[in-house]
Amino acid sequence: GSLGDPQNLKCVTHNLQKMVCTWDVSSRGRRGQTDFCYTTNDLTPQVCFTTKERRVEIPIPESSITVTIKSSGTATKEFVIHQKDISFVPITPHILSLMPDFPTSTLNLKWSDNGSVFPYGLDAFWQIQILRKEPMEVVTQVTYYSKLTHEDVILSWNWTSDMPLECTSHYVKIRCYINATQFVGSKDWSDWSPAEVIPGKDTEPGESGVFPLDPVVAVGSDLTFCCVHEEDQRITNMIYGSKSYTMMQLSSRSHAIRVLNANVSNSSGTNVVCRLENAWEGSVVFVGYAPDTPQNLSCETPNFLIIKCTWKPGRPSGLYGERRTKYSLFERTSGRNVSCEVSELSKDHVCDFPVLPAQKTYDFILGVSNPIGQAKSSLLVDITQRVHPKTPEKLTVTENNSTSIQLRWFINGSFAEIRLLCQIEISSSHSERKLQNVSTPGRKSSTYTTQVNELHPHTKYQFRVRCSAADHFWRWSDWSRGVEQTTSEA
Amino acid sequence: DSHVQYERVGADVTMKCGSMDWDAAVTWTANGTDIDESHLNGSYLILKNVGLSQSGQYFCYEGSSWHLKYQTNLRVGTPPKEPVLMCRSNNYPKGFYCSWHLPTPTYIPNFFNISVIHGTKDMVCEKDSPPKNRCHIKYLQLFSTVKYKVTLTVTNALGKNFTTLTFDEFAIVKPDPPESVVAKPVPNNPRRLEVSWQNPSSWPDPESFPLKFFLRYRPLILDQWQHVELSDGTSHTITDAYAGKEYIIQVAAKDSDIGTWSDWSVAVHATPWTEEPKHLTTEAQITETTSVSTSSFMAPPTTKICDKGAVVGS
Amino acid sequence: MAAADSPSTALRRRDLCSRGIRLAGKMRADVVDLLDAYVEQQGLDASASVAAVEGVPLAAVERWDEQTGTQRLLENLAAYRAFRALLAQMLEEQREQLGEADAGLGRALAAVLLQVSAFAYHLEELLRLESRGIPGEEEDGPPPPPRLSRFEQKLRGLGVLRELAHWAVRSVRDLRQLAKPSPASGAAPGLAESP
Repeated sequence: GSLGDPQNLKCVTHNLQKMVCTWDVSSRGRRGQTDFCYTTNDLTPQVCFTTKERRVEIPIPESSITVTIKSSGTATKEFVIHQKDISFVPITPHILSLMPDFPTSTLNLKWSDNGSVFPYGLDAFWQIQILRKEPMEVVTQVTYYSKLTHEDVILSWNWTSDMPLECTSHYVKIRCYINATQFVGSKDWSDWSPAEVIPGKDTEPGESGVFPLDPVVAVGSDLTFCCVHEEDQRITNMIYGSKSYTMMQLSSRSHAIRVLNANVSNSSGTNVVCRLENAWEGSVVFVGYAPDTPQNLSCETPNFLIIKCTWKPGRPSGLYGERRTKYSLFERTSGRNVSCEVSELSKDHVCDFPVLPAQKTYDFILGVSNPIGQAKSSLLVDITQRVHPKTPEKLTVTENNSTSIQLRWFINGSFAEIRLLCQIEISSSHSERKLQNVSTPGRKSSTYTTQVNELHPHTKYQFRVRCSAADHFWRWSDWSRGVEQTTSEA
Repeated sequence: DSHVQYERVGADVTMKCGSMDWDAAVTWTANGTDIDESHLNGSYLILKNVGLSQSGQYFCYEGSSWHLKYQTNLRVGTPPKEPVLMCRSNNYPKGFYCSWHLPTPTYIPNFFNISVIHGTKDMVCEKDSPPKNRCHIKYLQLFSTVKYKVTLTVTNALGKNFTTLTFDEFAIVKPDPPESVVAKPVPNNPRRLEVSWQNPSSWPDPESFPLKFFLRYRPLILDQWQHVELSDGTSHTITDAYAGKEYIIQVAAKDSDIGTWSDWSVAVHATPWTEEPKHLTTEAQITETTSVSTSSFMAPPTTKICDKGAVVGS
Repeated sequence: MAAADSPSTALRRRDLCSRGIRLAGKMRADVVDLLDAYVEQQGLDASASVAAVEGVPLAAVERWDEQTGTQRLLENLAAYRAFRALLAQMLEEQREQLGEADAGLGRALAAVLLQVSAFAYHLEELLRLESRGIPGEEEDGPPPPPRLSRFEQKLRGLGVLRELAHWAVRSVRDLRQLAKPSPASGAAPGLAESP
């Protein structure tokens, strides 16, 4: 071609409907008016227009088109463009939002898939890059898949950073690739979107400190702590617990350490200290265990007024104070929930639940939770079959003759709904210990009496009593205090 | 031209004879003695792996005219090691002093610079006249929890080093040992010795800042010391001395509330009163057998005493 | 110039001062023990330098020897009232953060709080002895504790205990000054003029 001829005609489509054709002019071509004409090969009339740009946007041909380009002062140049010569580069995706969740160090990315432009059902691949540090380094690159639906769909993706988002700025870029199977031309990734940034604390003037601040994490976690400081402040070292760790520089105002497989911390937590030239910054990490599932959950009532549930907590969580493991008792039938005043250090793990009017069966869920996790145990119980009376009180001898005596005792609780089985222990120095059972209708906070016969005259006896439910035995009460009586002489 | 040239022990030194060409005929002398040709490379003097003994005046003369072309004072030495720094208040609450020395000599002149920072305040350290490596700081504040940071930098021609001390006001309070320790037998008391002493003269205000004392004594025939701590007063009567046995006695001092124990005082010796045997002349001589031992000053072993955490200065 | 003391006032002051010196000495020993336990329990570095903590009375004083007796008592009283509130805050934090995990430290803290309260009362007695008005306590009580991170709370606690330990020493010195007989009359100086 002669000087100034149009050359290197290239056509790119971003939406499979139109294409942008560009060309350049061989050396020393003057920039003037250009007549651009094209015609598709199905003999439709030629379309022409004049442009000063070396760029035109025209529809994509079904198969091929013939293009003639004539710049002022040059010969007409003709090109034939086949569909296979056209390359498909999707429009650069546009990030709609990038939201940080600092407590969980999670980024949420939202973008539009711009699907309305494309036919239904195309496969789309989205490459997302996360970058960090000065100079920027790629931390991770993931490929996300979606199917286009010929509608603009907002896609959402979450990423959890291995370090607190406060530590340094996090940048996110995205590009896409659309598998337009029908399109015969070359297909390529779009350009990367401009990077969206979540600024770190190391970009905020006057900000300093160790992050994360006072986290609660599981034993065995791998942790990253960073120290944000002033630019001119020299950092001496970073200490986790009592050990100094090798530092990584994230930026001119941020250094980090990596702690692997963290051990359980003591009750006041593990200190993470950043020693600067003339200052200290720090955080405290509480490393513990998620609660174990409570074992041997058991519930009983001592008095039909309250229900006492007990359990074995399992491994201590190592968390205390406001981070301690908390227990709550939820009863499904009534929907009532009770929080239990018990801590891991308590010797007995007991929780009281009120007996509800006209409710015998209780569907308990013992919920246990701490900042690291939660667990639960459940138990369905009929409290009339779980009676464990309190110790009988005020055992006294009310009548006495040479061969029998009458005993009276008191039991706290309202047992009107059940029969009580009480056992009298009779012992004396002459004879073997004997047990005498007596069944009696239960009453509300009442005294009970029974007659003990076939005793020997003028003999000293010791008596004790314990009680339980008669119909559905569950557990004996403790023995009452003993009482001593000598039968009268014959 | 002549000047001082510092070189490290073990260095290889090359001296050029002023402006003379390499191939010029020259003569080198060290401290007036001609240097053997084997040390020359042309007109250059080559000294390999110099040692301290090679310090001295080096001259180079032009071969025929004996004009002096080059003269230098070679000083072979070492860069300074990390200096040993100690700060102490023996005149609390007036102030404290810091003293320092180098763990090993450098054989060349050293220059010391000390900075004392209290919180954000730079404090003046009044230097003693050389060669005493010591300076004194006045307390501007008392009872401060802010730590003092003392940095001593030593520089010589061959290098530089420094050391830093950070301490609490109370921690460095350490009185000088008690003075004028006197031990006397108590007439007619074969098991008693009366010991008295004075507050160290360097302690400025014993009334507002009283000292407590720690007495240790033992008969020369035994190694085990006996101890007694005294909260006030500057005298004590030993009542359990072995009759007739010569005793060695020392005293240490400490501020009643803060700091550490002083070193032990100079040791004194005394023997309890003994009854004169009857056949001797009527005049019973009671001799005060007090003598001040001039035994070489023995730094007291670190002795754990009942005052929790208090250790006698060693 | 305060009127010359009556012998009974001087005697009473000396008695109060010597009892105060013993109380402050015991308090200091307990605070030092508490400090050691606190540093260990909180996993701190004993050499940690703690910047001046807001709201904590500094024991540091310039020209201490020039203070009058009244100044000494009033400054002491203000300090120990502040420490009473600070220690109560620490005790609350301790319960909140540790629950029963470290009851030992909680008990030691409560014991020192008791001593601080007792010492504050003792100082008020000394001021009453000198018919000096007892400054009223701040009506609305101490300012609420600033919202601090856990590490800042730990350092703040360290700062409080360190200052208290130094205050105890200062108080012993102050009371010794007060107990000193004034050179002229041989009786203890009126509060105004004690050097």
